[in-house]
Amino acid sequence: MTKGLALFNGILYSLMILMNGLLAESYGNYYSTVLVHLFGLIAIILYMLFKKKRLFPKEVFPLLLYTGGAIGVLTVVFNNVAFSSLGVTATLGLGLLGQSITSLVIDQWGLLGAEKTPFKKKKLIGICIILAGIAVMLFL
Amino acid sequence: MHILFAILAGTTIVTSRNVNAMLAKKIGAIESTFFNYFVGLLLSIVVFFFSKEAILPLFIPEGFSDVIMYLGGILGVVAIIISNFITPKISAFLMTLLIFISQLITGIVLDFFLYGEFSLPKVIGGFLVLIGLIYNLYLDKKDNTETAK
Repeated sequence: MTKGLALFNGILYSLMILMNGLLAESYGNYYSTVLVHLFGLIAIILYMLFKKKRLFPKEVFPLLLYTGGAIGVLTVVFNNVAFSSLGVTATLGLGLLGQSITSLVIDQWGLLGAEKTPFKKKKLIGICIILAGIAVMLFL
Repeated sequence: MHILFAILAGTTIVTSRNVNAMLAKKIGAIESTFFNYFVGLLLSIVVFFFSKEAILPLFIPEGFSDVIMYLGGILGVVAIIISNFITPKISAFLMTLLIFISQLITGIVLDFFLYGEFSLPKVIGGFLVLIGLIYNLYLDKKDNTETAK
């Protein structure tokens, strides 16, 4: 059940890249980004009303903690631009490379609340295999 | 250029996920998702304002592809709710692995339907990306088990 849901989640992520990409092709990259966030916000508000959660907490935390959504805007814009010329698979492959490298950097210095995990040279092997896969995808 | 954008999308995914996780620790996962979309909407409106793109009226969806393109934002929320639900029940290793596998397979299937041809380089490339990810995830896992001992 749990494993099935994890697999299902991966399907959702890929579908999302496609759907947001199609929306961007119809309405423009930035307008569609507004729409994606608007529809998402409506969905989460409905879910919170259903779960009877309060929308705004009583306590206010440092502004930096609320920037996740702002960074997420960049994700949507970047993905939309990439999808238009690369398609779903190559966009995903390159995104996974970006995720791997960024995670390594965050872990190395224990940034953003992550536990400090020093870099292991062996991981370069994994990164090289990922790079090889991307080269095959893009240039063959 | 497009290649760089696709890589940067991975960077911003991880950064925003970590920031949202920090907020989630303070106010809860669902609440942090709310702020993710709330702040995202505000910023995207500002960016849109400067982009000189026209405000088009939303047209009524006619075919299947019209309907699905409006669902991306909603799917994102469903994915977050599901991942909040499964994260405590499954090891990070297995979860990341399963999500990546189905993500890439779905990507290959979608590209097949979009471009009408089966691309062998994309399948082989996707498979290699997966092997690289699994290898590095395995190194993490091995490390964690050793620390636990």
